[in-house]
Amino acid sequence: MRKTRWVATLAAASLVLVACGDDDSGSTSGTATDQTGGSGECTSPTEITWLGTIKIEIQDQFKAAIADYNATNTDCVKVTVIDTAQGEAFLQTVTPMYEAGKAPTIMTALQELPNMADKVMDWTGQPLADLAAPGTLDVANIDGKQVGIPITAEAFGLLYNKAVLDAASVDPASIATRSDLAAALDAIAASGPAGVHFSGLWWSLGAHFTNIYHANSADTAEGRMAILDQLKAGTYDLMSDQAFLDWLDTFDLLKADTIDTATISDDDYNVGVEDLASGDAGTWFMGNWAEPNLLEATPDGEFGVMPVAISDTEGAYGNDSISVGVPFYMMIDQEQSTPEQRAAAISVITWFLTTPEGQAHWAGPIESNGMSFIPVYDGFTVTPSTYMAARIAEYIADGKTLQWVNSAYPAGLQECYGTATQKYYDSVSDRETLAKDMEACWVA
Amino acid sequence: MAVSNRRQAISRFLVFAFVPLSIFTLVLIVPFVRGIYFTFRDWDGFGSTKWVGFDNYVAVFHDDKFWHSLWLTLGYVLATVVITNLVAFGLALLVTMPMRGMHALRTVFFVPNLIGGVILGLVWQFLFSKVIPQLPFFSSNWLLETNKAFWALVIVTVWQMSGYMMIVYVTALMSVNPEVLEASTIDGATGFRQMLYIKIPLIAPAFTISLFLTMRNAFMAYDLNLALTNGNPYNSTELMSLHVYREAFTRLDFATGQAQAVVMFIVVAAAALVQVVISKRFEVQA
Repeated sequence: MRKTRWVATLAAASLVLVACGDDDSGSTSGTATDQTGGSGECTSPTEITWLGTIKIEIQDQFKAAIADYNATNTDCVKVTVIDTAQGEAFLQTVTPMYEAGKAPTIMTALQELPNMADKVMDWTGQPLADLAAPGTLDVANIDGKQVGIPITAEAFGLLYNKAVLDAASVDPASIATRSDLAAALDAIAASGPAGVHFSGLWWSLGAHFTNIYHANSADTAEGRMAILDQLKAGTYDLMSDQAFLDWLDTFDLLKADTIDTATISDDDYNVGVEDLASGDAGTWFMGNWAEPNLLEATPDGEFGVMPVAISDTEGAYGNDSISVGVPFYMMIDQEQSTPEQRAAAISVITWFLTTPEGQAHWAGPIESNGMSFIPVYDGFTVTPSTYMAARIAEYIADGKTLQWVNSAYPAGLQECYGTATQKYYDSVSDRETLAKDMEACWVA
Repeated sequence: MAVSNRRQAISRFLVFAFVPLSIFTLVLIVPFVRGIYFTFRDWDGFGSTKWVGFDNYVAVFHDDKFWHSLWLTLGYVLATVVITNLVAFGLALLVTMPMRGMHALRTVFFVPNLIGGVILGLVWQFLFSKVIPQLPFFSSNWLLETNKAFWALVIVTVWQMSGYMMIVYVTALMSVNPEVLEASTIDGATGFRQMLYIKIPLIAPAFTISLFLTMRNAFMAYDLNLALTNGNPYNSTELMSLHVYREAFTRLDFATGQAQAVVMFIVVAAAALVQVVISKRFEVQA
């Protein structure tokens, strides 16, 4: 009797263990992606893993694309998507995987590129790297090694609701100076809606809004990087930089004209979507990643993007440009993968970027289960056709783009900038304190 | 005979302790030792290449933000330990009084403890930002003001922990020998005096354990901190655990973060030892 109870307990315990094990593999394999290679003769496909779903907003579309690839590919490859917890830091996910000898084959990241440089494959000379648009590879080139290749380009600036601007007879193209911008916001306000929704989200302020200053701080990339170097050395005085003061003037303008009042309780992304989509605000400082959300809220709306002018001099550098950059790079592990796995990883990315089916998933519209990425590779036949994507394409074609200097922010800097700018946004610090706080972020 | 007894004792010990002991070693001792090892290396989260001596600890001592979070944590510990134990002891006195609905009250007071820290944080975040500002005297959202956000953390912690500590005190109060109380009543001790001179000394072990538990919980606070304030506004409510996490995973200074964790361990261990030694002095035998 006693013995049977022991056995039962053991059995129960092992069941729990098995259940845990199951759970584990369940979370790493995903649900929609479990089909094996489609071609008949492929009996033992090369198994590789893809960490994360690139962006939470399009994770269903991404998983559908991978399922499609697994079902149809002739490369004899099976890709398994590893889900990551939302909000979990990239290295928090990756370091235990490396420790356990189960490194993912494909990873996507931006700020962690330098940390990964010695563990991932060099893309130099790969056909895909040669297809990438000029300039899009720079950030991921670390000491001559091409650590990653770009996924897409994203743009940020003042998003606008075309209907609201039309009603207030404001033409985004006519805004050349900060005074013009102020007049435009006033005109919108006079027609009813708020001129702007200026969100107090730490990442919007800390990474994107501070980039408006850094991107305008000099008209060459060398000049902008030289300022970062001086900040690192603790020798740069922001308050004596005219671009910084101009930026503060625009900061004040947006703060003053924002819907309701500027407080850090305004930290809900969805409220921004709602305000712009419904036309309660004419503009919103955000990026094109918000367009699917806006179109979901107002399906027949037209949403564009325009520059955030900081200089009051017409024709000044950057006043007519929007910030365009690469949000993530794709890396392939070379420490814990076999050459076959690396080849398989390249073949799935090649499928995405060069075949009609893959491109439809990559750049096709959200409605038809695409990921709506703006392509940054030669030979794309599919391109997003939304109003905002078309505006961004115009800016890119005219060369009116600002650098994402925020890609060069060291780890932790955008969080520190976020804290500093939130204090200013919340009116608990003044200009001098903001400048000091931002300088301190670099020295710490 | 003695040998076989000894062998029996060892095998009996192993039957009961082997599994828990090996788990304890694997998930606590090994990572702890490895963690200390990493603080003397140039660890980057993946591996390390060389010894760096005390560089990581020097970096910790030069980090103003670490000191800020350390002092903040000490303040938080002091506030929550004092208030939680006062409230818990008060509640315990209340629910050991002979009255109707006493058992129901015990359950009600204990329930907050059954809610996980993250859920609790989110629930209270809603209360602080949407409900409480509507009440008279509370026109603002406490979570957005640096000093009030700290007290918001304290209030939620006390609300969560008091019920649990109450149970400890209730158990102790009920185990006080009625004969001792009766004797003191005959000697003329009533109400407050009886509590101060008879009950409290007799339940001193309950204070030792409650103080220890609340202190430990306060030092280790992480989930509530993350869910309720996330360190906001402007990093003013970043307690030590959250700071250590961010040092490692946001600022990517793994070795410094680990060194901070070790410093934190030493602080907590020292505080706990001092507290237990002092509390033990007040314990008496009935």
